[in-house]
Amino acid sequence: MLLLALALLTEPRLVWRGANVTLLGAPSKDGAWLSYIDSGDLALRNLRDGRTVRLARSANKEFGYFSVLSRDSKSIAYAWFNDKGFYDLRLASTAGGEPRLLYRNEETGFVQPCAWTPDGKHILTLLFRKDNISQIALVPAAGGPPVVLRSLNWVYPKRMDLSPDGRFIVYDSFASDDNGDRAIYLLAVDGSSERKLVAGPGNHLFPLWTPDGKSILFASDPGDGMGLWQIGASGGTPRLIAPRLGRFVPLGITAAGDYYYGLRGGGTDVYVADLAGTARRTATLKFPDRNRAPAWSPNGEWLAYLSRRGTENFGQESRVIVLRASRGEEEREVAARLAHLEAVWWAPDGKSLLVRGSDRQGRGGLYRVDPETAETKLLHWDESAGFRGLEGAYVGGKLLYALGDEIRFKEGASHPCPQARALTSNGANLAALCGSKSIAVHREGAWSTIESPIPGAQELAWIGDRLAVGDGQQLRLLDGTKLPIPSERVPGVSVHPNGKTIAYTAGSAQSEVWCLRLPN
Amino acid sequence: MSAPAKLIVLAALTLTAADRPAIPLGLDAFLPVPAANPLTREKVALGRRLFHDTRLSRDQTVSCATCHQARYAFADPRPLAIGVHGRKAGRRSPRILNRVYGKSFFWDGRAATLEEQVAGPIQNPVEMDLTLAEATARTGLSELDLKNALASYVRTILAGDSPYDRFLAGDRAALTAEAQLGLNLFRGKAGCTACHLGPNLTDERFHNTGIGADPGRFRVTANPRDRGAFKTPTLREVAKAPPYMHDGSLLTLDDVVEHYDKGGDSETNASLDPEMRALRLTTVEKKALVAFLESLSGTIQEGLAP
Repeated sequence: MLLLALALLTEPRLVWRGANVTLLGAPSKDGAWLSYIDSGDLALRNLRDGRTVRLARSANKEFGYFSVLSRDSKSIAYAWFNDKGFYDLRLASTAGGEPRLLYRNEETGFVQPCAWTPDGKHILTLLFRKDNISQIALVPAAGGPPVVLRSLNWVYPKRMDLSPDGRFIVYDSFASDDNGDRAIYLLAVDGSSERKLVAGPGNHLFPLWTPDGKSILFASDPGDGMGLWQIGASGGTPRLIAPRLGRFVPLGITAAGDYYYGLRGGGTDVYVADLAGTARRTATLKFPDRNRAPAWSPNGEWLAYLSRRGTENFGQESRVIVLRASRGEEEREVAARLAHLEAVWWAPDGKSLLVRGSDRQGRGGLYRVDPETAETKLLHWDESAGFRGLEGAYVGGKLLYALGDEIRFKEGASHPCPQARALTSNGANLAALCGSKSIAVHREGAWSTIESPIPGAQELAWIGDRLAVGDGQQLRLLDGTKLPIPSERVPGVSVHPNGKTIAYTAGSAQSEVWCLRLPN
Repeated sequence: MSAPAKLIVLAALTLTAADRPAIPLGLDAFLPVPAANPLTREKVALGRRLFHDTRLSRDQTVSCATCHQARYAFADPRPLAIGVHGRKAGRRSPRILNRVYGKSFFWDGRAATLEEQVAGPIQNPVEMDLTLAEATARTGLSELDLKNALASYVRTILAGDSPYDRFLAGDRAALTAEAQLGLNLFRGKAGCTACHLGPNLTDERFHNTGIGADPGRFRVTANPRDRGAFKTPTLREVAKAPPYMHDGSLLTLDDVVEHYDKGGDSETNASLDPEMRALRLTTVEKKALVAFLESLSGTIQEGLAP
């Protein structure tokens, strides 16, 4: 049975490759168009001739995000980051004209349209509330309040879809409250039932209904790479459709059975180089191109960094903290109970990690994580910080953090610092970027302000007790001396306590669109 | 590539038509009703009658409704439940609102289903003090029918459509300025959403918040970390149902806010929840929190619409 399925499958076909490929849209049911986001604009790409039609233009801080075409291809529902700082659900006609606001609610900061009901009257939409609750909802296409079918916790579905007859929703979510693996669920649209359809070890996610309504396609990694699987809508034995597709994200299925998916290539990794400008090498052992934000331990024996691991190959919650020994091949994962990990630093005593991110209640802040036990403790949080949390550091044994236009000590004292960011401490001294030109320095209990030798600086680092400033390419000491480090990198360096070696992040991601003709 | 032996198909798609209550604003349309006991109009009606039936107690003076009174948000104004012959229980009668969404039942979560839960008070010597055999003899129902009917009725007790729900739905005027400040504190400085979150304002988990000496969840799990831990109750209709906490020891919402403001004592209480800490709320902030808690009262409905 398995061999038969593979034999009937045609080879995947590359549809689109290029710098402006994004994976936030879906193909039309007739296979003529693909919605996507181009530099923030909502756009349609003609899949036959590559022509582009722009339907909504980004402006100022506003931009488009996820989108899905109606079954008749006449309308497109899409998420739009508005000028108030959260996402609307909007509707545009593919024939052009002024888009229409469908749903705006400050309490629901994020929306993701996923599918249209067969009658075109509702849009299956994921709502993500301020209190970190995700909700499966139907939003009327004519306007009006959404019908919330199901509330889930911070683990929002990576994908959900409606059956062709409009009676069922398929979605992925955690297998249980205490199990981080994803399972696939079927929910009746009338709210009368829910069933777990696929579970078991590993992640099962990205479900889409086949056009005939008889089965569901999903991604799964049984141990040798993520493949595309199929299961009957009423159960049965899953079968492998396409093995080892790579880091793929489904975009949609056409009426003819063409499965469009995005493939993520490249990405960032962590590198180590000599500060003299020689001997660059990869610092990571596993999961290449999924690593970032390195930080040396104070004794130089460990390099901590963030790694995106597992089948689930995107999403903030897939990040873990990794500790890599400076010598040898030892590597450990620190499974902090945090939903979003943005950055990690070491406390000056080397006994704990400071982590920027959010917990599962959505509290964006600064956390302390024990590198041995992964025990996680909230040190400080602020609602205005958002999911990305707070940058922080210890200086002179006291905790401080950057928030808005200030650097604040946990005890209450503060120092003005416009657009405070890039805090860096060597345990005794602290420096922080304030805006694009100034650096606030805290030495021996006193603050001073100096001008950055690099306009638009984005990174700071202590080399011993000397401060270096960089913009992601150059790195200079305060006296202007240029340090010969690699220029192709992401801002943010960590200097080994030997003062001779640095760790940094480099690389970039590229995406492609592929198509697979499903077997009959 | 081996066959997908690791993938387990857990359930086929089997749907049955069922009667459903109207869903108040703020709650999920999906009602997690077990397939083995679907809601039916007849069962819910029978369950309502049984809920008020004093024959389910030894001396025929106590019914479920004695301790779960609709006018007190299906709770009891007395600090501790009082059963047959004036016997006093060790814990307070909880508000049984939105239990259809519950994941475990009783303050200590010792019942996994509502069907299991509803039989508990009937058999408890300090509550109704009747064996299930006696209950079935008195009602003429089988044990299964009795449990299924009571559980079905409890599943229809729904609370929602509060000012808070209307605010979440986008009506920015639904909460007063003071209640909005309280909401910000609830989510922020006071950290209430660490446990009280989601449509039912509970994580359905167990926490030691530094109240009393009752071992709580520890009696169920024997895990020392669960000593003194109790299930987070919903905050819906909380203003209508004083006194508070599992032992009814705090008389007002002001007292509750004061308790959390102090944060408990982790030195004398080894299993105190790590979220418990001194909040240092100002008088204005405490008042705002209470105003927000009062905004969680809306409509309570029970049974199925005609």
